[in-house]
Amino acid sequence: MKLSAAHKNGSLQIAVLLIFLMPILNFAQTSYNNSGLFSPVNRLKFGNYLFADKDYLRASAEFKEYLKSFDDDTVRFNYSLCLFNIGKYEEASDNFKTLFYGNPFTEKARLYFYESYFFGKDYKELRDLADNQNYKSVLYSKGIERLKNISYLMDDSRLPEMNSFLSVFDDSVQSRIAKFYYQKKNPKHKNPVTAAIFSAIIPGSGKIYTGEIGDGITAFITTALSAYLAYSNFKADHNFRGWLFTGLTAFFYSGNVYGSAASAQIYNARIRFNFDKEVKIYFGERNYFLPKSDY
Amino acid sequence: MTKLKLLTICFVFLIATQLHAQTDWVKWDAQTVSYELRKTQHHEYTIDKSDFGMTLISFGRNVYYFFISDLDGDNCPFNPTCSQFLVQSIEETNIFVGPLMFADRFTRDLNFIKGRDHYQIIPNGKLFDPVCNYTLNSKKIKF
Amino acid sequence: MKARALFILSFMLFAFVIQAQDYLKLQFNYANDLFKAEQYYDAITEYKRLLLFDSTNTYRYQAEYKIGESYKGGAKYDDAIKYFSHAEKDAQGKDEIFAAKTQVIRSNILRRTTDRALQLLDELEKDSTFRGEIDTIYYWRGWAYMFADNWKSAARAFATINPSHPLKLLADQTDRAKVSVTFAKVISYILPGAGSIYTGKILSGLMSLAWNAAAGYWTINAFTSNRIFDGFVVGELVWFRFYRGSIQNAEEFAVQKNIDIANKSLRYLQNEYKGIKP
Repeated sequence: MKLSAAHKNGSLQIAVLLIFLMPILNFAQTSYNNSGLFSPVNRLKFGNYLFADKDYLRASAEFKEYLKSFDDDTVRFNYSLCLFNIGKYEEASDNFKTLFYGNPFTEKARLYFYESYFFGKDYKELRDLADNQNYKSVLYSKGIERLKNISYLMDDSRLPEMNSFLSVFDDSVQSRIAKFYYQKKNPKHKNPVTAAIFSAIIPGSGKIYTGEIGDGITAFITTALSAYLAYSNFKADHNFRGWLFTGLTAFFYSGNVYGSAASAQIYNARIRFNFDKEVKIYFGERNYFLPKSDY
Repeated sequence: MTKLKLLTICFVFLIATQLHAQTDWVKWDAQTVSYELRKTQHHEYTIDKSDFGMTLISFGRNVYYFFISDLDGDNCPFNPTCSQFLVQSIEETNIFVGPLMFADRFTRDLNFIKGRDHYQIIPNGKLFDPVCNYTLNSKKIKF
Repeated sequence: MKARALFILSFMLFAFVIQAQDYLKLQFNYANDLFKAEQYYDAITEYKRLLLFDSTNTYRYQAEYKIGESYKGGAKYDDAIKYFSHAEKDAQGKDEIFAAKTQVIRSNILRRTTDRALQLLDELEKDSTFRGEIDTIYYWRGWAYMFADNWKSAARAFATINPSHPLKLLADQTDRAKVSVTFAKVISYILPGAGSIYTGKILSGLMSLAWNAAAGYWTINAFTSNRIFDGFVVGELVWFRFYRGSIQNAEEFAVQKNIDIANKSLRYLQNEYKGIKP
C-alpha cells in the first residue's frame, strides 16, 4: 500500500510537471512571429516606447499593426499624433476625425484636426470648416478661431473685418497683430508699370523708384555715355561706330526699362517674403497661441 | 477607464521629455558615400539641341568659354555668370525677351556698388541672381 | 517531497529563462539578417524592439552597436555616433569599449570631421588602457589624414605601424604625384600660361600666353603711339584681365590636378583595398 501511494504521488508530480512543461514545448512549435515580441500587446508596448522616444515613424507602424487587431481610442489618438508629427497631415486629420464622438479625446482630436489643416497649409479648407462650425470644439473654439485668423495672414485671401479679426487674440498682443493686419491689407508695393515708365522717360529712374539707387545711376550713366558716343561719332562722320553705339544705347535703354519692371516685382516679392517670415517667426515663437501640448 | 487612458498618455509624455528625439522622419535606404574629394564646378561645354536657335546660341557660348571666359579668370560676381544668364534667359523666355534680361543683368554687373543686401550670397561667395527672378512672373521669384 | 517540489519549480524557472533567451536570440538574429541585407531602417526597428524587451540587458551593447552601424550604413553619421556612444557606455570590458570608441572615430572620418577624429585618436593614445591597441590608433589616424587630403601625415601615421605598410606606400606615392600650387602660380607671374602648362593644360597655357602677348602688344603700341587713353583701356580691360586670369587658372588647375590625384587613390581605397575601412 505504501509503495503504491508513493508511486501515485510520483505520477501526480510528473503529470503536474508535464502540464507546466506543455506550454513551453508548445511555444517552441509556434511560429516566431506569432510569439512574444510581435503580439499585439507587445507591439503596443513597443509603439509606446518609440512614441516616447519621439521615433514617430516607427511608432506609427507599430500602432497601425495593433489597431488591426484591436480598436482602441488611446492608440488611435497616439497613432494620429504620430502621423501629425511626421507631417502626414491629411492622414492625421482623417484619423483625428474618427475620434470626434464618444471618447475622452473628442476635444483634443478636434483641435488637432484643425491644426492638421493649418500645418498642412490647407488654409482655405481650414477656414471653410471653421466657418461652417463643423466639428465645433467646446474647449478649443477660441484656439481654432485664432488659427483661422492667422491663416488669413498666410495666403492671398481677403482679410475679414479688423475688429472681428483681432477679437480672438489677447489684448496684450492685439497692437502687434493689428500691424500685421495693416501690412497685409496695405502692402507698400511698387508698381512695375510705373517703374518701366519712369525708366522709359529717364533711364535708371525706375530702378531708383524701386530702391536700387546704384543700379539706377549705373543704368543712367551707361545709357547716356553710349548715346553721347553715338552722337559724337555720327558728328565726326564715323558712321559705323555711330551705329554701333546707337545699338548699344538701345540695348542698355530697353534692358533698363525691362529691368525696372522686373525690379519692382522683386521689390514686391521681397516685401511678401519678409512679411511671411515675420509672421511665421512671431506666431511660431508663440506656438500660434495654441494650448500647450501634453505630448 | 478615462483616467487610466489619460494617465497612460501623461506617462508617455513624461518619458518623452527624458529621451532624445529621433531623426527618422521618412524611411530611408542604405547609402554608399563616395570617398572622393569634391571638385569645383567648371563650365560645361554642352550644346542645346532643342531647336536651331538654341544650338547656335549654346555653340556661341561655348566659343566664348573656350577663347575668353576660361582664360580671363573668375570675374563675374554673380551666379549664374553673365554668359550662363544669357543662355538661360533665352531658354526660359525667348530670343526677344532673353537679351533684354541680359542687358539688365549686364548693367547691374557694371554697378560697382552692388546692393549685397539685395542678393543672397551663396557658399562660393557669389551673388545669387537666378534667371527666374526676371521673367516678370512674380510666382517664379525666389530668394 | 519538498526537494522534489523545489526541483520542479527550479526547472520551470530555468525553462522560462531559456525560453526568454531563445526569443531574444531569435529577435537578434532576425535583426542581424535585416542588417546583412542592408535593410538598415528595418534593422534599427528590430534592434530597438530587442532593446525594449531585453530586460536582462543581454544584447544591449550589441544592439546599440548594430544600430550605430546601421545608421552609418545609411550615411547618418550623427545618429551613428549617438548610438556608438550609447554602446560605449553599456560596454563590458575594454575590447567592447575600444570597438565602440573606434566606431565613433570612423564615423567622424566618414563625416569628414577630421579634427574631431584626430582629437579622439589623441585621447585614445593617451589612455593607458589601450596601450596594446596603438597600431589600430595609428591606422585610423592615417585614414583620417587621407580623408583630409593630408597624405604626408597619413604616410607618417602608417609608417609608425610598419615602414612598408601598403597604405604608407600609397600615401607616399600620392603625395609625390601632386604638383606644387605655389610653383604653378609663381611661374605664371613670370610667364603667363606657364603654370597651366606645368599642370598639363598645354592648350590653355598656350592660349593664355597668346592673349597676353597680343594684349601686351596692343597696350604698348597704344602708349608708343601716344594713344594714352586707348593704352589704359586695353591694358586694364584686356591685358591685365588675361594676365590675372593666367595666374588664377594656374592655381585652379594645380588644385584640380591634386584633387584628381587624391581621388584616384581614394577610389582605390574604396573599391579595391582589401583591408579594414572606416
